[in-house]
Amino acid sequence: MAEKLSWTELRRALASRAGVSEKEANTFLNALNAQIVEALKSDKQVKVNGLGMFKLQAVAPRKSVNVATGEAITIEGYNKIAFVPEASVKELVEKVGEAYPQPLPEGKGDDRDFMHDTDPLKKLGSQAEEIVDILGELGQSPKAEEKPTPTLPEGKEEVIPEPEPVNEPEPIKEPEPEPVVEEPVREPEPIKEPEPVKEPEPVVEVKPEEPAKPEEPKKKEKKYHFVRDTLICVVILLLLLLVGYFFLRHQLSGWIESFLQGNPAPTEQVAATESTEAAVAADAEEGELTEEQVLAEFLACSEESEEQVTPEANIYEELITIEPMHEASRLTWMAKRFYGDKAYWPYLYDANKDHISNPSKIEVGTPIRVPKLTAAQKDTTIESTRIALERLRREAEAACRK
Amino acid sequence: MLTKELIGRIAEATGQSKKQVEMLLSTSNAILRETLMAGKAVQLQGFGALELKAKQARVIVHPKTGERTEVPSKNQLVFRPVDNLKDELKKI
Repeated sequence: MAEKLSWTELRRALASRAGVSEKEANTFLNALNAQIVEALKSDKQVKVNGLGMFKLQAVAPRKSVNVATGEAITIEGYNKIAFVPEASVKELVEKVGEAYPQPLPEGKGDDRDFMHDTDPLKKLGSQAEEIVDILGELGQSPKAEEKPTPTLPEGKEEVIPEPEPVNEPEPIKEPEPEPVVEEPVREPEPIKEPEPVKEPEPVVEVKPEEPAKPEEPKKKEKKYHFVRDTLICVVILLLLLLVGYFFLRHQLSGWIESFLQGNPAPTEQVAATESTEAAVAADAEEGELTEEQVLAEFLACSEESEEQVTPEANIYEELITIEPMHEASRLTWMAKRFYGDKAYWPYLYDANKDHISNPSKIEVGTPIRVPKLTAAQKDTTIESTRIALERLRREAEAACRK
Repeated sequence: MLTKELIGRIAEATGQSKKQVEMLLSTSNAILRETLMAGKAVQLQGFGALELKAKQARVIVHPKTGERTEVPSKNQLVFRPVDNLKDELKKI
């Protein structure tokens, strides 16, 4: 309300718009004011159509206290002017100047002033349109900004998010199961597969995009969905892996056994064929048992050879240490630490099976005897050792399932 | 007093025809409205000023349900009489 339409401006505006002289307008306005005051005095209220109602309100006398002296005084009643604007005027005025303060151009009393005066509505309307446009631009702009980028790098963007889920889970998977050498060879294969499959896709997509522009938005939407979906997939994968990790930490041995059981089979089959020759060399050391051992390998059964091998496997002449079980430790990890290979963990179980019922759930603090392994016990190229180890493994596995 | 009577009195006082006074009154009111809508106050000489007063948004609570609703900010049209008139009318 910094600016005020002055009396002169009002007079001139009225004169020009109503087509009367300024003097006439002046007398009218003066008379209007005077008559309103007169009417207030006589009738106590005046209604002016198109503006509102002026009322003369009585304020009743009230009691108060002289602040300085504490004396009780009465404030005498008086009259005041109250103005109640017409409902239509009230509504018109309610939202004025809040968002868009629109000072009138400096009036000179010409028609122009009030040509301009009618503008605010239009201005508000046009501003509303502008805002709508701006909002529209804002809404579209993200799409518009990304329009140029997706066409070319689409292939890259699509490929980048995908390798992540494939690459991330593996490093986590590998340490847990701690598989025999074959595992890492198997797992990388799935990595290679998805990549070549996805790379050709973007190439196919990009080409049709250039000629057919109307299809672009749909593809972008698809792309957004695609990126979003891949992200969701990554998150879900990571969550599953985390859950799996913690599950595995507690149920490790069961898994290890399944891995170890599953894996040696192929190694044996591969090695078995090779080892027929090697077995001949081993024969020299072990003597008479060769034929039976070779048979056992081919059958993948340890039963026959058990009797011959057991004495070798079960003899632990020296102990390296007796180590209490750590919270985060496993027999496999101890085997890796002391023997250099986690595949020897069944020996640890064998040496401690008198006080370990379930090798997957060893209580923290349980003393673990770590026997010193002989060269023959460590040498898995010797068939008898391998078979003995596998037998122990099965035994331990069976203990896990109890 | 209603507008019709006011027009009659003004016509009587100024010697203009009622029709013309009515026309003048409606145009002047239109001018006042437009000026106010532009966010500008109007000074009426010897009478007062019509101004817009900004009211802040506030929260009201329904006494029964305790429901809270916000009353949006708005402008209020207020009339501020000149001091002379104020004093004059006080004593009536």
